[in-house]
Amino acid sequence: MTDCGCEKAKAELEEYLHNELRKEDAIDIREHLEHCNDCSTEHLVGRTLTEVVQRACKETAPEDLRDQVLLRLRAIQSAH
Amino acid sequence: MATSMLMERTVAIPLSLDGLELPVMTTDTTDMRDLFEAQAMPFIDQLYAAAMRMTRNPSDAQDLVQETFVKAFASFKQFEQGTNLKAWLYRILTNTFINTYRKKQREPYQGTIDELEDWQLGGAESTTATSSRSAEAEAIDHLPDSAVKDALQSIPEDFRLAVYFADVEGFSYQEIAEIMKTPIGTVMSRLHRGRRLLRDLLAGYAEERGLGTGQAAKSKKTSGSTGK
Repeated sequence: MTDCGCEKAKAELEEYLHNELRKEDAIDIREHLEHCNDCSTEHLVGRTLTEVVQRACKETAPEDLRDQVLLRLRAIQSAH
Repeated sequence: MATSMLMERTVAIPLSLDGLELPVMTTDTTDMRDLFEAQAMPFIDQLYAAAMRMTRNPSDAQDLVQETFVKAFASFKQFEQGTNLKAWLYRILTNTFINTYRKKQREPYQGTIDELEDWQLGGAESTTATSSRSAEAEAIDHLPDSAVKDALQSIPEDFRLAVYFADVEGFSYQEIAEIMKTPIGTVMSRLHRGRRLLRDLLAGYAEERGLGTGQAAKSKKTSGSTGK
């Protein structure tokens, strides 16, 4: 197997992270990451960024909002 | 980055919000509401979280979510069962946000942000050493949620939404393009620049808090002049 090289890997890391690459390209990148410390560290920063954003953005809708939505849906319905 | 590299994902999101039909009063209407509640209500937490990132305050976020559910219910008959309900709801949420709330809080750069060059945004490819980048990852990982939210709030709205849709909701680029009504290339560019800005901001916060990213933060300050 031939290594796709750092240039290709760096250019496509973000698409790789978001699962947007074709299967063959994703395999190339995955193989490169296994052997390249530099690119795998860059990938780690990218993954961490995604994780902290996911973690920070968790919210629970207020109970009140849920009730209000249900009330409005019923009101729309009874208006007809 | 060639678009042809992208995996083809065709997700049909049928939605015509024009010609909203009001539900006809039949015995089906109750069934329709039950179905809608069963299918759509589980998304309320996610929609509220997205609305919080859009409007930046709980009161507007609640109004936006309510409007979204009302509109979605009104056009639910046009939703094709078996297609992606979550993407459909996000499309209504985003439309509603753009048409009502964004007008209220319009930011000066709207409409031109996509044309800014990377160097104007302070973004540059990472040229830092591997060791300091692993320190950067660790430092970012230790930041409190509030710092991450602050950073998200401070990046341009279109970038923020693209990052949110991809990284938090896990939508495909194609789905984001449909939700934001932009070409897929624009989605990729917003995502790339949004993540770059976010990363630099977070590395900066980490530095301020003494979490230390070493070289990463220092080299960032000079990278602007080297362009892309």
